[in-house]
Amino acid sequence: MNWTFLLAEEAGGLFDFDATLPLMAIQFVVFAAVLNAVFYKPLGKALDERNDYVLSAGSTAKERLAQAESLAAQYEQDLAETRRQAQQIVVAAQEEAQKLSAQQMAEAQQMAQAQREQTQKELDAEKQSALSALEKQVSSLSQALLDKLLSVAA
Amino acid sequence: MLNSIPVLLSPILAELEVGKHLYWELGGMKLHGQVFITTWLVMGALIVVSLFATRKVERIPSGIQNLMEYALEFIRDLAKNQIGEKEYRPWVPYIGTLFLFIFVSNWGGALVPWKLIHLPAGELAAPTNDINTTVALALLTSLAYFYAGFRKRGIGYFAKYIEPTPVMLPINILEDFTKPLSLSFRLFGNILADELVVAVLVLLVPLFVPLPVMLLGLFTSAIQALVFATLSAAYIAEAMEGHGAEEHG
Repeated sequence: MNWTFLLAEEAGGLFDFDATLPLMAIQFVVFAAVLNAVFYKPLGKALDERNDYVLSAGSTAKERLAQAESLAAQYEQDLAETRRQAQQIVVAAQEEAQKLSAQQMAEAQQMAQAQREQTQKELDAEKQSALSALEKQVSSLSQALLDKLLSVAA
Repeated sequence: MLNSIPVLLSPILAELEVGKHLYWELGGMKLHGQVFITTWLVMGALIVVSLFATRKVERIPSGIQNLMEYALEFIRDLAKNQIGEKEYRPWVPYIGTLFLFIFVSNWGGALVPWKLIHLPAGELAAPTNDINTTVALALLTSLAYFYAGFRKRGIGYFAKYIEPTPVMLPINILEDFTKPLSLSFRLFGNILADELVVAVLVLLVPLFVPLPVMLLGLFTSAIQALVFATLSAAYIAEAMEGHGAEEHG
């Protein structure tokens, strides 16, 4: 086997270089351009758009989650605040009610005392007047008795 | 060389044709017709599949669009890994087309029963088992990395030849020749050897025995497509960066 055989144009062979080479190169470049138009560009665009969509959707979702969390925290705070206020109101109302009831009790007791004293006084006065009337009757009766006795004796 | 096998063993291996071509004439130049026929079939198939995949692009992909998107993402990852996030995008079509064309050619050569179609001379096979195809692709890669280097670094690209020391100048110049040489012969040799081994085995034992070798051939074919595309991307990246020539020899 000699090397001229390998390089021989007419004989063919494995290492048969000819116009296939440059035409193949040109053809490949054209093919790459065609694939660029029908494959890489449209599908690449689709991939990029999907990436953007996923990223933006993810960030929007994250934003919303943060918003929801802050809202929940806000509500929680408001709720605690409201609870404290309600507690305060209840305590204040209880205090006031107690005060009021104590005051009214005191007033009622005072009034009852006063009425009792008044009644006592009236009773005393009536007793006094009854006693004096009785005394007057006793004295008039005793005078009459005396007069009768004296007239009999005379 | 190898094309002498049929001559030596012609009584047994009468069907094994190596180094015979279907010659076409074009303006006084000779062309290998069988290579062009299969090349057009491969390219046509890829274009048709791409057209189907992009006919109705949807946000949630399905079917063939999904498949081609997977391929595109694979190619993008390959280019991104070699060239880097910043620069890889303009090179995706070139590297991707290299990968797809070589891959479909190799698998087409291994899976399609070309022998059923008889040609006046030669036989149909993977376009990549012709040295013209692989050298054409390898030279395109050389052009591509020179272009990448000059566009990125201008005339300063020549500084690459005396990096890291001027002593490396001859080796660095030699590398510009060894790169296309190794690229083209690696692909050519692997694909041709695979087809030859399968052909010889089929002639010796027609049933079942060649199957493992054919499976191995499919594996090798895929690997070779990946290697060619990856090395091309690596050379382009290297030309743009300047350093690290030792990594990808």
